[in-house]
Amino acid sequence: MPIKEKARKLLDEGLDGVLGYRVVDGTHVPHLFSPEDIDRMSEDYPGDERYPVSLLLRRLQAENPGVRLGVVVRGCDERALIELAKQGQVDLDRIVMLGLACDEDLVCSCGCPQPYPSGIEQGEKVAAVPAEKLIEKLDSLRPDERLAYWRGQFGACIKCYGCRNVCPMCYCKECALEDEDLVERGVVPPGEPVFHLIRALDMAGRCIDCGLCEEACPMGIPLRTLYRKVGLCVEEKLGYRPGRSVEEECPLAILGTDTDIGGPGD
Amino acid sequence: MPEKQTKKKDEVKILAFLCNWCSYAGADLAGVSRIQYPPNVVDIRVMCTGTISPYHVLKAFQLGIDGVLIAGCHIGDCHYMKGNYMTYKRFQVIRDVMKFIGIDEERLRLEWISAAEGEKFAGVVRSFTEQVAHAGPSPLRTGWDSSAESRERIREMFKQLESLEPVT
Repeated sequence: MPIKEKARKLLDEGLDGVLGYRVVDGTHVPHLFSPEDIDRMSEDYPGDERYPVSLLLRRLQAENPGVRLGVVVRGCDERALIELAKQGQVDLDRIVMLGLACDEDLVCSCGCPQPYPSGIEQGEKVAAVPAEKLIEKLDSLRPDERLAYWRGQFGACIKCYGCRNVCPMCYCKECALEDEDLVERGVVPPGEPVFHLIRALDMAGRCIDCGLCEEACPMGIPLRTLYRKVGLCVEEKLGYRPGRSVEEECPLAILGTDTDIGGPGD
Repeated sequence: MPEKQTKKKDEVKILAFLCNWCSYAGADLAGVSRIQYPPNVVDIRVMCTGTISPYHVLKAFQLGIDGVLIAGCHIGDCHYMKGNYMTYKRFQVIRDVMKFIGIDEERLRLEWISAAEGEKFAGVVRSFTEQVAHAGPSPLRTGWDSSAESRERIREMFKQLESLEPVT
């Protein structure tokens, strides 16, 4: 069922609001629709206007306890909501997801591992394209060449915090990137590589590969590549991929058993 | 004393995080038993290696430390039951990320050393000091070279990377 129709139906059935998109000056922007203005919801979703919808939803739920909302989700949004639910940041029982599959152009330009949510209301499922080659290229370099590459990239950072601000998974009240003991105040570029490695390690087992960080970066630093590499490490060494299922626990969030670290069993 | 500090400036600097119950006690035993080991290590006592944040390890390298050693209780012997499980898992990620950035994984080591293993502690410090000395002073000791020549060199490298074929 087209998403607008479904949204209208859900609002009639008593949902408090639906987080979707409307067009403002030719651009799609997120908007919380009520029964009064549901007609203004956009019926089409051009691919490259993307927002961290799960971040908005988390704030809406926090500021309005008990509210029941529908939300238009892409594959990445669903992964983010699953991970946030596991970390106690959203309540999935009070959310109705309206699934939107990404179109072919977006799938090719974004390159995420699953460009469609588990339940699709609108859009055709398009298979994921293999992700970037930059990780392979970097792995083939010598360590000192790799270091020079990353130091050059990090040296462009203007400390705008765009990557952190747009990330659906960033919700710490006291951010490590603003801790004076870790990151010196008033220094640009920020101490490399600590600034970016703090983020990279915080993304271990949590990054759902939406790519908004790299899109937000005004200096074009290949952040997504870095966080993808961290995700690969977690998947290979600890057998966990974020956003896969609500039941699966992140090994970095729990103590775990002996078998998780290669022993015979507790 | 100023003279000794000048001589030590070019030597290897290692930071060791030792857990209070096992490794720190093991280090104490090495000391009490007069077992000789290189003086390049500075110890930091933590209650459990599970409390070591990856941020601390990163910051150590940022500040110019050449090598970081983390030593805790053997698996199954942690004073807090499973603190060292967290250490083990976190360490995998820290090591792989640093390797990807280009910082030699030889500069990082995780060992399980019990309170009775004074000789083992000394042996680990000896071998790790040699390993880190072989890797050389940390490349992060010098700030990023933002001169025009360096930037040109890096620009060339970016261009080369663009044209490289991926490894099959």
